[in-house]
Amino acid sequence: MSLEPQELSELKSKIGRDPTPTELQIVAAEWSEHCSYKSSKRHLKMLPMKGPLVITEKGYDSGVLDVGDGYVVTAHIESHNHPSAVEPYGGAATGVGGVIRDILSAGTRPIAIFDGLRFGDIEKDQQARWLFKNAVTGIADYGNCLGIPTIGGEVEFDQCYENYALVDVAAVGFGKKENLIKNHAKKGDVVVLMGGSTGRDGIGGSQFASDSLESEDRSAVQIPDPFIEKLIIEAILEARNANLIHAMKDLGGGGLSCAISETADALEIGIEMDVDKVLTRESDMHPDEIMVSESQERMLIVTSKTKFKKLQDICKKFRIGCSVIGNVKSDNQMHVKKGKKTFANLPTNVVANATLLDLPSKEPSYLKTIQKEKKLKKISDYSKIMMKLLSSPNIASKIWVYGQYDHEVGIRTVVKPGRDASVLRLDNGKFLSVKIDGNPKQCYINPREGAIGCFEEACRNVVCTGAKPIGMLDHLQFGNPKDPEIFWTFLESLRGLTDFAKDFEIPCVGGKVSLYNETPKGPIKPTPLIGVIGLIDKQPQIPQKISDDDCLIILGETKDELGGSEYYEYIHKFIGGNCPIVDFSESKKNMKSVLEIIPKKLLKSVHDCSKGGLAIAISELSLNNQIGCSVDLDKVPGKKLDVDRILFSESHSRYLLAFDKKNLVKIEKILKKNKTSFSIIGKFGGEKIQFVMGKNSIIDLRVDKAQKTWLNSLRDLVLHG
Amino acid sequence: MVTYDVRVTIENKPGISDPEGDTILNDLVLKGTHKTVSKIRMAKMLKFTIKEKDKKTAQSKVQEICDELRIYNPMVSKVTIDVFES
Repeated sequence: MSLEPQELSELKSKIGRDPTPTELQIVAAEWSEHCSYKSSKRHLKMLPMKGPLVITEKGYDSGVLDVGDGYVVTAHIESHNHPSAVEPYGGAATGVGGVIRDILSAGTRPIAIFDGLRFGDIEKDQQARWLFKNAVTGIADYGNCLGIPTIGGEVEFDQCYENYALVDVAAVGFGKKENLIKNHAKKGDVVVLMGGSTGRDGIGGSQFASDSLESEDRSAVQIPDPFIEKLIIEAILEARNANLIHAMKDLGGGGLSCAISETADALEIGIEMDVDKVLTRESDMHPDEIMVSESQERMLIVTSKTKFKKLQDICKKFRIGCSVIGNVKSDNQMHVKKGKKTFANLPTNVVANATLLDLPSKEPSYLKTIQKEKKLKKISDYSKIMMKLLSSPNIASKIWVYGQYDHEVGIRTVVKPGRDASVLRLDNGKFLSVKIDGNPKQCYINPREGAIGCFEEACRNVVCTGAKPIGMLDHLQFGNPKDPEIFWTFLESLRGLTDFAKDFEIPCVGGKVSLYNETPKGPIKPTPLIGVIGLIDKQPQIPQKISDDDCLIILGETKDELGGSEYYEYIHKFIGGNCPIVDFSESKKNMKSVLEIIPKKLLKSVHDCSKGGLAIAISELSLNNQIGCSVDLDKVPGKKLDVDRILFSESHSRYLLAFDKKNLVKIEKILKKNKTSFSIIGKFGGEKIQFVMGKNSIIDLRVDKAQKTWLNSLRDLVLHG
Repeated sequence: MVTYDVRVTIENKPGISDPEGDTILNDLVLKGTHKTVSKIRMAKMLKFTIKEKDKKTAQSKVQEICDELRIYNPMVSKVTIDVFES
């Protein structure tokens, strides 16, 4: 835990003296990459953050969106990569806890959890299996105990995460606009720490997240306690209803150091605190340890002296700790004392604002050749390849994962996980649809187009439920930013996301940057993860059972875009090729058409084409409905392509519509009016998945056999290796 | 070869919190009349029965098994191994 030499001299010149050891600890925590965003902040400003529905307030940890009728939705995304890589169960669980408290700190009740998980090759790597199994259990145990449904996410495996884990957690909250905490404080207010006690666990966590794993001391593990978190949620919501909270912040990375300095800086106040007043787990803790401890399940609250009594009564009722640790001053200083002795006294704007870096960037040399196609082995039996893909860890059903999560508690879940995006019922009669998506394989081949692709895929998924995208969350995960080539991929991804967000008028309402994600074998592939929040005014598209003779339409063109596809990487072990590129105008046209058709109740099921391409997307419809289908590949819209490209190309902006034959004329009319590229490519029925090209049979699979493979292979792999 | 009983006790490291132990202490023990208790730590124990040539080999073999199969996570847990002749 230390500052770099030039940072130390900068600190000295800013405060005009040598810092005390405690001050050094506080500043080191707050100026770490994890807390200060010093490498990325300068650039993140390019993202559009304003929009008609976005509510901004100083000091919010989560994005707030107005969903009408006096209600708001809050959303936030966090990761817990480094802790999960060494202790997957506790790391993943405390990751959920942290993001939940961010939602809570705006004064809204958390109503859903989403998680994006990435690990090494679980087919070969026992460590990856261990990480995967325990991270999933950690999320399930924590979320299920809290009574908050985990309703979506994604899981991906790639060799680049060997001996490592990316655990991203997003959460959504819901509440009344009038109940939002309007962060404010005045001189004489008291600063209260509530929740669990402060111990030695997680000391130096935020520093640890900013160093690569090889050099850390691996001691920063945190133990989750979901039952205290549940009590904190209820106590805070009760205090909120009684109007007892002036300002609030959760304690995350950097512990008290960050919470105090950031609160004071955001509210332009000073805070004087006494470490003796902090409830500690052990009696011999040093002030430095208390200031940087990352013990979980704690919240910082600013309230008035008179309101504190009532707050104390509420905490007593819920049997959680609650103590006044300091006072609000008007001097903009962060003053840390132990009894009468001063240990740190720093201007809050110095602590909370590290000097932002302007790191050099350079296009990585590998990108010059990566898009070149390789001559691949000829495939003689596509049915066999399909079975192989259906059982591959990235494509196989994730039911083993979401089956462990309670996804219905809270009775808001209208569309359950396992489809494109889940849907939640809101109290004002509207519905909310949220999805998170990433695609490191494509981002590696083309950081800009790959990132845009993740964004569009998340949009597509919420559009499939009938929701209009109203906000996005971005989580940018990269390797060491001091490597100019890695920093270039970060900037390219960010620029791509910015262009898409501006063009589609989807504001960024929150995000996170996680850098220094390095494994012993080198940096991870660029892994931006995009969450999209969609709103449905009337009825969502609830999947209905597809039956015999129902028609299948595909919207959007299939292009020669196999780069980063599961087909190239899993079947041919080839990394490279043309990365799929989103055509903004085609994308908009298709989204508009789908959103126009859904409210007319003409469709039984809507599904997008993503991983595994058209062949997998159609099979998923068949497998979810236990019905066969026959598809003519000659009819697929787009330029003439080889069979493997039509089947497995992962081109964006494509939707599959399944519907009763009698609605065909009405659907065609809308699609033609919007000048969408579409085609009727097949129909459902029978017990086989059949793909033909003219008169040639390409794929012929029994639904029951394919379904068994698709549903069970991930579970079998995890449980039996 | 001698048969040994090997007991592996796995608990959270001393500095790391133990919500389960705390709950048993606060919500069960201290709610009764047992005010002399000040701390409870939760642990789990595995009892191995193993045939090895001596006590030391029995201990190291069990340690090896636990490490290899990830019976515990060295990041979180403190492990004590006791060997008894059965």
